Amino acid sequence: MREEMVVASSLSVTFEQHKVLDGVSFKVGEGEVFALLGGNGAGKSTALKSFLGTVTPSGGSASVMGLSVASQIDVIRQKVAYLPESVMLYGHLTGVENIEYFLSLAGITSAKDKIESALKRVALQQDAWYRSLSNYSKGMRQKTAIALALLREAPVLFLDEPTSGLDPSAIDEFNQLITTLASEGSTIFMVSHDVYGACQIAHRIGLLDKGKIVGMFEREGDNPIDTEAVHASFSKRNG
Amino acid sequence: MSVIKQIMWDEWRYWQRTRLAITVIITGVVLIVASVIVNAIGIQHAKHEREHLQHAAESRFAEQPDRHPHRMVHYGHYVFRTPSPLSIIEPGVDSFTGTSIFLEGHRQNTAMFADQRQSSGLTRFSSLAPSFLVQVLAPLFIVLVGYASITREKEAGTLNIMMTQGVSKRHVLTGKLFALLGAGLLLLLPMILASLWASFRGESSLVTGSYIVGYLLYILVWSGVVLGVSALSHKSSASFAGLIGLWVVLCILVPRIGSSTAAALEPSPGKLEADFAVLEELRKLGDGHNASDPAFEQLKSNLLAQYGVETVEELPINFRGTVAQYSEKKLTDVLNDFAEIRMQEELSQAQIARHFGWLSPAVAIRSFSMIVAGTSLETHHRFLREAETLRFEFVQSLNKVHQDKLDYQVDMNRSKSAETSKAARVDASNWSVLSSFSFVPEAGGVRLVQGGTYGVQLLFWFGVVVLFLNLAMRRMSE
Repeated sequence: MREEMVVASSLSVTFEQHKVLDGVSFKVGEGEVFALLGGNGAGKSTALKSFLGTVTPSGGSASVMGLSVASQIDVIRQKVAYLPESVMLYGHLTGVENIEYFLSLAGITSAKDKIESALKRVALQQDAWYRSLSNYSKGMRQKTAIALALLREAPVLFLDEPTSGLDPSAIDEFNQLITTLASEGSTIFMVSHDVYGACQIAHRIGLLDKGKIVGMFEREGDNPIDTEAVHASFSKRNG
Repeated sequence: MSVIKQIMWDEWRYWQRTRLAITVIITGVVLIVASVIVNAIGIQHAKHEREHLQHAAESRFAEQPDRHPHRMVHYGHYVFRTPSPLSIIEPGVDSFTGTSIFLEGHRQNTAMFADQRQSSGLTRFSSLAPSFLVQVLAPLFIVLVGYASITREKEAGTLNIMMTQGVSKRHVLTGKLFALLGAGLLLLLPMILASLWASFRGESSLVTGSYIVGYLLYILVWSGVVLGVSALSHKSSASFAGLIGLWVVLCILVPRIGSSTAAALEPSPGKLEADFAVLEELRKLGDGHNASDPAFEQLKSNLLAQYGVETVEELPINFRGTVAQYSEKKLTDVLNDFAEIRMQEELSQAQIARHFGWLSPAVAIRSFSMIVAGTSLETHHRFLREAETLRFEFVQSLNKVHQDKLDYQVDMNRSKSAETSKAARVDASNWSVLSSFSFVPEAGGVRLVQGGTYGVQLLFWFGVVVLFLNLAMRRMSE
């Protein structure tokens, strides 16, 4: 049995009397890629934010690596990495400076060559490493953020719509990278509305609709999850 | 601590690389440095000039030839107020109230040569005092530099990333506050150096130390306000609009409302009206130049009785000199009564306006700054009182010379011919009755006590900002 890294137990979130999440439960094991799919307003980002402690659940509980989000969020934040939908980082800093800065905030001092090798690993072109991030494309910014997560040696990665706005080749590169990270033991929790992309890399997919898990799909062996089945279920609920 | 330091240094790096903030800081510093230098040179020049003029006026008085003593009463004398060391930063009311008074018998003249009265519209801009720049413009510079401190991170999504590195909201706010305080300190640096220089020029170290602490609190308050508003705002545009609004209210509107309220609650009569009231009272006292005025009949009877003689000619003293002394005393009492009423009215107005320091830190620091620097209304009143004491003393001393050293008959005949006029003179050595005048503000300890209330106002604002930052930290959205 793989260790449970991300757990939601009857998780509910209410905003102004509107239930955004309604008793959601799931578990994500170590080295697993779990994708939460859903249309706009399904509650995907709220579910993700519940694990980062930026929204407060009205019911149920969330835990990461066995630590309760409600009471140990500061410890959790030191152990996980988060990639927002739009990875901005700092435009006034270079890629290397961004990583140096955020690592220093996490209390990690990393040598330049270590940072450079992380950037190489995420396939960020070398001539961009010391360029201001304001000139980076979304894919390049995302790679920089993933390099940061690698250097932090975060066992759990939370990704918010990671492929939105990426070109097809960048999506392929990203998928490859996520697969590699998972095979090395990283746990990936991502929310997305990209059915095809999620099916390619996820071990399991949870389908979220109106704040409830309405479907769970699992990879069989090494085969990707059946896109058609997920798509049919997704389309049924999202027109 | 190192996280806070990292956040602070990155903020500075951001300001430096985006150029806008660093341009604002440099502009502010250059403006304040220029203002400190120009004011320091101007005040030093004024100090030397007034000391020289004071000495010259005293010498000129003492060098007057033999004369009738009452001519010297009307010849008069000038006193000059030398500026306090800290007036290189805070000119206070000095530039509005005048720096010199002509002292003469039977009159209390108003102070003359106020800078603001002499300058025309445009040249007033050249006298932007360092205190004004720090009290009014420095907060604006802090707003321009810091309004997006937190909103920028929210808009870019970097605040979330910071949080997921294990950084707390307290770390973020403290790091940004230190960065903003650093910018504020740079703006304050020319003033701090000028204060130390004032200390070197004779100002008490306790005063300059407290003065610097007062301004540090002020900068801390504004840095906290800017950061708190930025933390509570979702967008930089909202933060900017809110802070500019706050700056207008706290630095422009509340001080004006304070002055207007003071004038409305404590109305004072116009100068013409006040002068007429004084004249009416003085008319009742009789003319001190005329010893036969019925107003002095009682004095005459008392003197005759005291010396056991029948006529004033038989008195061993010059009755005209006695009348002059008596009249000057009565007249001075009346003038002083009116002057005290006027000063009380001015002080009441000032104190009402200063109460607005509970509503605006800009009013609090202005009151604190002027009082501690020795350029407040209280110090001006002290100058008026000291000048009046000197005036009364030298006029009465001359009147005494008139009474004791000039024969009554000779005095009465002084206008009959050139010879009698010459005979009705006293020796020039009598002009040494004039004491030398050197004005200094109250001792440092006294000024600090006087300014204590306004120091408490600043501490109150500091407390408010601490609470505000705590609230902002709790409500700060990511």
